[in-house]
Amino acid sequence: MNVYEVFLKKQGKDEFRHVGSLEAANDELAIVLARENYVRRAEGELMWVVDRDHVLVGDEEFIAPNADKPHRHNDGSLVAERRRAGRAGSDESDESGAM
Amino acid sequence: MTALGPAERAVLLAFADDEHLMGQRHTEWIGVAPFLEEDLAFASIGQDELGHAAMLYELVIADLSGETPRAEAVDALAFRREPADYRSCWLVEAACTEWASALVRHWLYDTAEALRWGELAGSSDEHLRAIAGRAMSEERYHLRHADALLDALAGDADAGARIAAALTEMLPLGVALFDEPLGSDGAVESVVGRPLAALAPEWRAAVDRRFGQREWATVEPVVQDGRTLRSAPFETVYADMREVIMLDPDATW
Repeated sequence: MNVYEVFLKKQGKDEFRHVGSLEAANDELAIVLARENYVRRAEGELMWVVDRDHVLVGDEEFIAPNADKPHRHNDGSLVAERRRAGRAGSDESDESGAM
Repeated sequence: MTALGPAERAVLLAFADDEHLMGQRHTEWIGVAPFLEEDLAFASIGQDELGHAAMLYELVIADLSGETPRAEAVDALAFRREPADYRSCWLVEAACTEWASALVRHWLYDTAEALRWGELAGSSDEHLRAIAGRAMSEERYHLRHADALLDALAGDADAGARIAAALTEMLPLGVALFDEPLGSDGAVESVVGRPLAALAPEWRAAVDRRFGQREWATVEPVVQDGRTLRSAPFETVYADMREVIMLDPDATW
C-alpha cells in the first residue's frame, strides 16, 4: 500500500488545500477511495491526489535561516512613514514659497 | 407522467427490492471491511443503493395512490411486507461473509444494475428517466470502484484463487437475477424498455470480459419461482433491517 495526499479546491479563487491522506494499493484505487473518503459532501469540485513519495521535501535546516529575517516582513509602516514625512516637507516648501 | 400498469409496477418493485437488499447487505461491512478507506467507500455504495431503492419505492407508490409519496408508505413497502411478498433476487439476499464473495457480488450486481438503469433511462416515463439518470451517474463510480479493486488483486495468486471460488459460488445466483418477477408479463415496452431479462446476454458477455470465458451451460440458476421464494439467508437480513421499526410498529417517525 502507498500513502497518498489529497488536495481539494472549491470553485472561485480559493487555492487547492491539503485535506488529508489515505492508503491505497495503486493510483487508480487512490483516486476512487479519495472520492468517498474526502469529497462525500461536496467539499470541493477539483481534486488532486499525490503519491507521498512524489512530494519533494526541503530539509528543515535548509529552510530554518529564513525564519529570522524580520526586515522581509513588510507591513507597509516604513513606507507610510516616509511618505508622511515627504508630504510634510513639501507643505513646508509651499509655505516658504508664499512668503 | 405515463401511468404504470401492474406489470410495470411488478418489474420496478422487484428492482427496488434488489436495490434495498443490496444496500442493506453492503452496509454490513461497516467497521469490518479489509481496510479503513474501503470501509467508508463500500458503505457509501450501499447508501447509494438504498437511495435508489427509496426512489423506486416512491415511484411505485406514487403511481398507486396518485398523490405525493408519503414516507410511511415507502417504509411500509420497504419494511412491513411479509417475506413471501418481497421480490428480491437471491444474489442480493446472500450473506457473503467473505470479502471475496462480497466483492464479486458487488461487481456482478452493479454490472447488471448499470444495464438495467441504462434501459430505464430510455423510458417514456419522465420520473423513471430522471431517477435512471441520477442512478447511472452513481453506477459509473460503483463499477470503477469494483474494477479497481479486482484489478489491484489480479496479480496476487491467493486473491485470484479466492475470487475464482467466489465467482463459482455467486454465478448461479447471478444468472437468476434476470428472472422476471411474478406478474411482470406484458410490461409496456415504452415504459420499461425491453424485458429486463433480455439484458442477460450483455451481462454474461461482461462477466466473460472481466473474469475470462465461462462455461455458461454448466451454470445452473437457482430457482426463485418468479422471485416469490426467499433464500435461507433472507431470514436474518429481514430481522436485522426491521429490528428498529419493529420495536414499536405503531410509532410515528
